[in-house]
Amino acid sequence: MKQRINLTINEELQEVFVEPHQTLLHVLREELGLIGTKKGCDTGGCGCCTVLLDDRAVYACMVFALSAQGKKIITIEGLRENGKLDPVQEAFIEAGAVQCGYCTCGMIMAAKAFLLHNPAPSDQEIRAGIAGNLCRCTGYHKIVEAVRAASRPG
Amino acid sequence: MSEMKIVGKRVLRSDAYDKVTGGRGYPVNVRLPGMLHAKLLRSPYPHARVLHIDTSKAEKLAGVKAVLTPAEVPQIKFHPVFFSPSLAASMIRDMLILSDTVRFAGQPVAAVAAVQPEAAEEALKLIHVEYERLPAVFDPDQAVQSGAPRIHEHAESNVAMHPSFSFGDLERGFEEADYVFENTYQTQRVHTCYLEPRVCVVESDSQGNLTVWSSTQHIFGLREKLAFALGLPISTVKVVKPPYIGGGFGGKLDMGYIEPICALLSRKTGRPVRIEQTRYEDFITTARNPIKIHLKTGVKKDGTFTARYAKSILDTGAHATHGAVVLMVHGFYGFLLRYRCPNQKWEGYTVYTNNMIGGGFRGYGAPQAAFAVESQIDEICEELELDPIELRLKNAHSEGQPHPFDPSFNLSTYRFEECLKKGAEAIGWADRPSANSMGGTRKRGIGLACQPLWVSGCIGFPDIYEHSGAIIKLNVDGTADLSVATVDMGCGQNTVLAQIAAEELGVPLEAVRITYADTETVPFDAPSHASRVTYSAGLAVQAAAGAAKKRVFDIAGRLLNTSVEKLEITNGRVHIEGSAEKGVSLGDVVKQAESPYVVMVPDGTQRTRLSEKGTIMGMASLAPTSNPSPATAEFVEVEVDTETGEVKVLRVVFAHDIGRVINPPGAEGQVEGGTQQGVGYALMENLVFDQTSGACLTGDFLDYKIPTALEMPPEIKCIFIESNEPTGPFGAKSLAEPCLIVPAPAIANAVYNAVGVRVRDLPITPEKILAGLGKL
Repeated sequence: MKQRINLTINEELQEVFVEPHQTLLHVLREELGLIGTKKGCDTGGCGCCTVLLDDRAVYACMVFALSAQGKKIITIEGLRENGKLDPVQEAFIEAGAVQCGYCTCGMIMAAKAFLLHNPAPSDQEIRAGIAGNLCRCTGYHKIVEAVRAASRPG
Repeated sequence: MSEMKIVGKRVLRSDAYDKVTGGRGYPVNVRLPGMLHAKLLRSPYPHARVLHIDTSKAEKLAGVKAVLTPAEVPQIKFHPVFFSPSLAASMIRDMLILSDTVRFAGQPVAAVAAVQPEAAEEALKLIHVEYERLPAVFDPDQAVQSGAPRIHEHAESNVAMHPSFSFGDLERGFEEADYVFENTYQTQRVHTCYLEPRVCVVESDSQGNLTVWSSTQHIFGLREKLAFALGLPISTVKVVKPPYIGGGFGGKLDMGYIEPICALLSRKTGRPVRIEQTRYEDFITTARNPIKIHLKTGVKKDGTFTARYAKSILDTGAHATHGAVVLMVHGFYGFLLRYRCPNQKWEGYTVYTNNMIGGGFRGYGAPQAAFAVESQIDEICEELELDPIELRLKNAHSEGQPHPFDPSFNLSTYRFEECLKKGAEAIGWADRPSANSMGGTRKRGIGLACQPLWVSGCIGFPDIYEHSGAIIKLNVDGTADLSVATVDMGCGQNTVLAQIAAEELGVPLEAVRITYADTETVPFDAPSHASRVTYSAGLAVQAAAGAAKKRVFDIAGRLLNTSVEKLEITNGRVHIEGSAEKGVSLGDVVKQAESPYVVMVPDGTQRTRLSEKGTIMGMASLAPTSNPSPATAEFVEVEVDTETGEVKVLRVVFAHDIGRVINPPGAEGQVEGGTQQGVGYALMENLVFDQTSGACLTGDFLDYKIPTALEMPPEIKCIFIESNEPTGPFGAKSLAEPCLIVPAPAIANAVYNAVGVRVRDLPITPEKILAGLGKL
């Protein structure tokens, strides 16, 4: 049976009605129209649906919507502030780290979470930091460059 | 050619901003009012007859609007791949939208459309299907034996096709050889792993006309195939071009089951119907065909090839699909044309099995052949103590010679030797150790592989209508709208085509926008495949922009009181050559064309001539005059852990004659991404099926491993050798596919160089390395 819950998404309180088995990914895409978060596999294998949950990167397809109550959820739509891109978004554009773009939003969210906890990483740490997100177009090369560019010089 | 302002510059992708902020233009996001969601009931058996389907319970479930069974589906046999009408007639039509014979586990047998996807899913469980199970065969070697289960009535011994080509005198060639090498190589079944699932929405209007939104690489092919399979005139089907698709790599070239099923369900319900495949469904939709290759090469002491015989057995799975054409490309570009060799024979077998069907995948038959030939060349070099670079060069084609496939055009630009020499220098080939000469448990090795000859489209082979088209329309604000049919699946064609248009028109890059297109509004184009879009669609875009420019000059010439020969456009301003300050803006020229009376000149009102009236547009629909070959050499350095058998790729140097580079970061991205797919093909990727039930055991990314950032070499060096191809748009040729064709043999050769273990079947797993080292 559907339950009424409140979710804090991109600093706005949203009221949604969800079945207990429905995932955060489902709610974001199908109920709230936040389609920047992509579904690539729905089985926790690709990382396309990565969002921030209390500043940690999670696969939204692996989180029940009910369990996201009371937590701070940030999606790709919430990264831009006052129309200005987040430095990670800027860096992805500048480095040419975007091809088909389907992994891009999840990858940016993973990089964002990673940099919050490790603002001055080595290249190897960056690679480990985004290893939970698959990309089939770029070979990750320019993605690593982008994350490096968005990090604080170490 | 005057210096270029936009072509060749490092520009940012036009779609990057949208994609980093959410990217709305994917077909997976299409939703229509009243839309239903459909799901497919798939067979659990690899080979069976459907005796009876009872849908009564499913139909009664709340929310279910329609159920589709084979009885309600046109029984028109089709081939899901687009080819020109002349060639299509010879393709093997062996598929049905829904059939009462199942030939692979996962083949759809029924479909349900419901208000919610959950209801459709639930309804599938209520459909009762009575199957008569039939014996199945999964190994092509067994499938051709007498007594093997027959998969299609039309194919005796399960051989769908057996092409064979030869020239010279094979027997004499082998007699002239000082050495003959004979080996067998086996490649595996791998998936393209696009990240956006295959998805479509089909809407039927009240008269049955269809509008289709699909994650397709080819809108015209989908229109043609859908109309054919449904028995409809193509004019009743419109396919809308998706602004983006989330990767394709050949995996979205053909019509799937989902498009015709959605079409039938939409006609039945009068509502739009959507299917989004699950990742498991994607994994069993199409794959690169596994091929077993028997390769025999005759060679002189000095490394000159005298004869080559190759036999390729391709597992096409339950249906022929791409199996036949993949095999032909494999035969020609993989063996017969690859290097000079006067006496050759190649024969291939496309064999039906009860495995999943094959499909397109970047390289289309060439990676399998490259693995065999480029591995064997190194085996020859090892035995004859020859340098692998020298042997390849000794047998290489040369610039200016007639194209070995179609002598009606020449290899006008072909810098293969430069690729090898520059690549060798960058990797440090001269200091390469001899095989297995390092001490310690982690041994390094360097290897190389080439794709000496490849395509920039399909002219001549196969004849799939190598046409491209473009429409460019100028706006009063000096911008241009460009419409093309080719789908940007991520390779960056929208940026490259905009660069070509902007360069030709003399406007800033931002002034060109790629706009809406569907099968009713733009000229035909062949698919986004075969490394062809930059070359072929680029030529059409250049021609369309040139036609628009001509009209601009006609009007501007009179406005500026000069002859059109003296005009040029710089940064959106039309002016007399050499005096950029005197001129008129492109936007004002368009205004003049679109308005009857406009004050345009300092000395008064200028009336536009009738012949100049109207929107300034340029259009082109053309076939390129050639099919210039890129040339590729890749060098890799690996480290092999002799205790775990693990192979790490440390460095890649990719040297490639691709003609003029239009957008350098885009080109590098092709190499880097191709390397990821190549490392996966070489070391880890493998679709595995249960050999009794036929079920896919690697149907998600937890079981089907592709390289993450950690498995990728930290260093990928791109060396682009920029020959200036005279037939290409601003000198360009092609790039996409060789990036994935060469890594597997290069890595195999590097592994041999490191530890002296020759692996002839992909992927090169730790188990195979340890077995080769005698440790398993």
